[in-house]
Amino acid sequence: MIRRFALLLLAGVLAIAPHAAEAQLKVVTSTTDLYDIAKEVGGDRITAAHIGEGYQDPHFIEAKPSFVLQLRNADVWAFVGLDLEIGWMPLLLDGARNPKIRQGGAGYLDASTAIRVLDRPNGNVDRSMGDVHTQGNPHYWLDPENGRRIARLFQSRFSQLDPANAATYASNERAFEARLNAAEKGWQADLAAIRGKPVVAWHTSWRYFAEYNGMNIVAFMEPKPGVPPSPSHLYEVIQTVKRTGAKAIVMEPFYDRKVADLVAKQTGIKVLILPPSVGGVRGITDYIQLMQYDMAQLAAAVR
Amino acid sequence: MRTIRFTAVVLLSCASLAGAQQPDSAARSRQRADSIAKAVRDSIALMKELGAGLAAPSGAAAPGSGNVGPQSGPANPRLLPDISAVGDLVGDLSPRGSTQADRSRFGVREVELAVQSVVDPYFRGDVFLGISDVEKISIEQAFLTTTSLPNELELRIGRFLMPFGKQNLTHRHDLHTIEYPYVIQRLLSDDGLKGTGLWGSRVFAPFGFYQEVQVTAIDRLSRPVDSLHTAEDVNRSLGGLGFSARLRNYVDLSESQNVELSFSALTGKRERALGQSYLVSVEQPTGQFVPTDVNAIVARQTTYGADLTYRWRPLQQGLYQSFILQSEVMRQVNERVDDLVAPCANCATVSIAERARDYTGAYVFARYQTTQRTFLGARYDWLQNPENDGRTLNAGSVYLEWYPSEFSKLMAGYEGLSNSGDRLVNRLLVQAVFSLGPHKPHPF
Repeated sequence: MIRRFALLLLAGVLAIAPHAAEAQLKVVTSTTDLYDIAKEVGGDRITAAHIGEGYQDPHFIEAKPSFVLQLRNADVWAFVGLDLEIGWMPLLLDGARNPKIRQGGAGYLDASTAIRVLDRPNGNVDRSMGDVHTQGNPHYWLDPENGRRIARLFQSRFSQLDPANAATYASNERAFEARLNAAEKGWQADLAAIRGKPVVAWHTSWRYFAEYNGMNIVAFMEPKPGVPPSPSHLYEVIQTVKRTGAKAIVMEPFYDRKVADLVAKQTGIKVLILPPSVGGVRGITDYIQLMQYDMAQLAAAVR
Repeated sequence: MRTIRFTAVVLLSCASLAGAQQPDSAARSRQRADSIAKAVRDSIALMKELGAGLAAPSGAAAPGSGNVGPQSGPANPRLLPDISAVGDLVGDLSPRGSTQADRSRFGVREVELAVQSVVDPYFRGDVFLGISDVEKISIEQAFLTTTSLPNELELRIGRFLMPFGKQNLTHRHDLHTIEYPYVIQRLLSDDGLKGTGLWGSRVFAPFGFYQEVQVTAIDRLSRPVDSLHTAEDVNRSLGGLGFSARLRNYVDLSESQNVELSFSALTGKRERALGQSYLVSVEQPTGQFVPTDVNAIVARQTTYGADLTYRWRPLQQGLYQSFILQSEVMRQVNERVDDLVAPCANCATVSIAERARDYTGAYVFARYQTTQRTFLGARYDWLQNPENDGRTLNAGSVYLEWYPSEFSKLMAGYEGLSNSGDRLVNRLLVQAVFSLGPHKPHPF
């Protein structure tokens, strides 16, 4: 009996030892942008997965039970925050039954805590204002400065949870920033072309992008955030486009292009489908590519 | 002796393994200490930078145009729970008069008040009060849910919608039809079967797809009916409590299609009305036996069910297109009781001619999204109706659902209802639902 126990003990020691050495942080993110930045910082020391796809509206992701399986063993749950995921995240976190990634757990990582928030409403707020985000606009990753801040946040949290690899995370983070800085120098001409140019945006999701590149959003296709355009609002948009000479309607691939085409037909404005996230169009597989692509496409449209 | 020697060798081996790793471990410890120190330095640097960023917005950001997240303070500094209300208004424009229980043409079917919050690091609490002209104020649901049990376990204590089938778990105002399918109304409950007791569930995936088992033990299967008097309480013995089990199986067929096939069972004792009253001796809480008129027996009722849901929603065009096909089938098995046995040794057994039979029912429902805010739905119901001696009920209905926003819904429905071949009853129903406050999203 004792002999059998000793054998089991030995087998146990041998079985556990190699796994402990190979243990990686399991990171799940709500969007592909956070996923890519997490991979940049974590490298081969983490495994990563994402819930939403880049061509999907992140407000309306379905809380499918298969996502629960991804989350139940996660060490880190990183999300955009500012209520972007409020329609589905609570169900997934409840379903996952994983205390590590619930609010208050070490793996609960709200990326919005590291960025400068725009459009935080003042005074009384109610739903007559549309799908207003009471804590501010959550589409902040489209400003490269916020990309850097998110990377630093990941580095800090990964190092906290996995101190043995802190040096690797720091080095990966520096390398990511260096690549982003270099890419940023490459699109200075695009920035110059974009700055001050009037454009129409579908949703408030391009506000941070505009803050960064200086494009002048003269109208939104949505009369209020999340509210589909009405005929009377479209008439106003058409008048605004004619008055300001706006060059492009910037919209995500998941909105109905037919409505934008209607405005284009009346005014001659270009309809520009830009991916808001990594994977939003084929071939855009990382965050730096996403920023490069969006900047180049917009510059070409407004030149 | 050999065994002891072997054990010693094993322990020595382990020790030597540890010893061999010691120089390595020391180096790792130093490296780890360095890493921690660096992580702390980096964190401090990050916080300083964030603070500096707040004080002096950089680059393209307009001065004063934003706040860095952590500087803004908690969103809910007073730790208030989420409080919300849902109004469910129903109109009945049927050509031959209202088909509602209270004969109203327009009515507030229910107002649901919800108070929901995390209780402490171990539990969250959910309270749903239903307010209606019929029931006044009732506790629809009130339960405490564990949040930190290991092994994907979850326990719930309180009153909850019973995990039986698919639609019974959905609040009535959140259905895509105006009323529950007839199989749920007649075999479970008009407004969804609820139970008070314990709920346990566990998620697992031994075959690579999502599975969850949900079991409950509840005080009783049905709400007590004041007009029914039995010789003993339904939950007098533990075997008389209600018990249920459900196995969920969910599979992604592709990124835009998925299917869920689940099986449920529910058993317990409940009152069943007799055609007449009988005088029997009934044991009182004091232990005495008192002759009492009883007009109902306590009999076991067991219900089995299977539900299938297919969903299609393309990820990119998911705002504008989706389709759901759903079906549930249930069979209710009722215990045959020949004798009404009074619970006293010397009392005579009364023979009764109690009629009991089993009932089966099903529905098929489909819903197609036509625009961002508009859906078309249709349902077919078939049921051996317990309220009509098991004669067949057939109903076909169509629905037009329009969501002005996520927080309001307007629906119009037509239903053709036939009870065992009687004349077709035409029903025309309209519904308005509105939601105030931060209502927690409903389960997938």
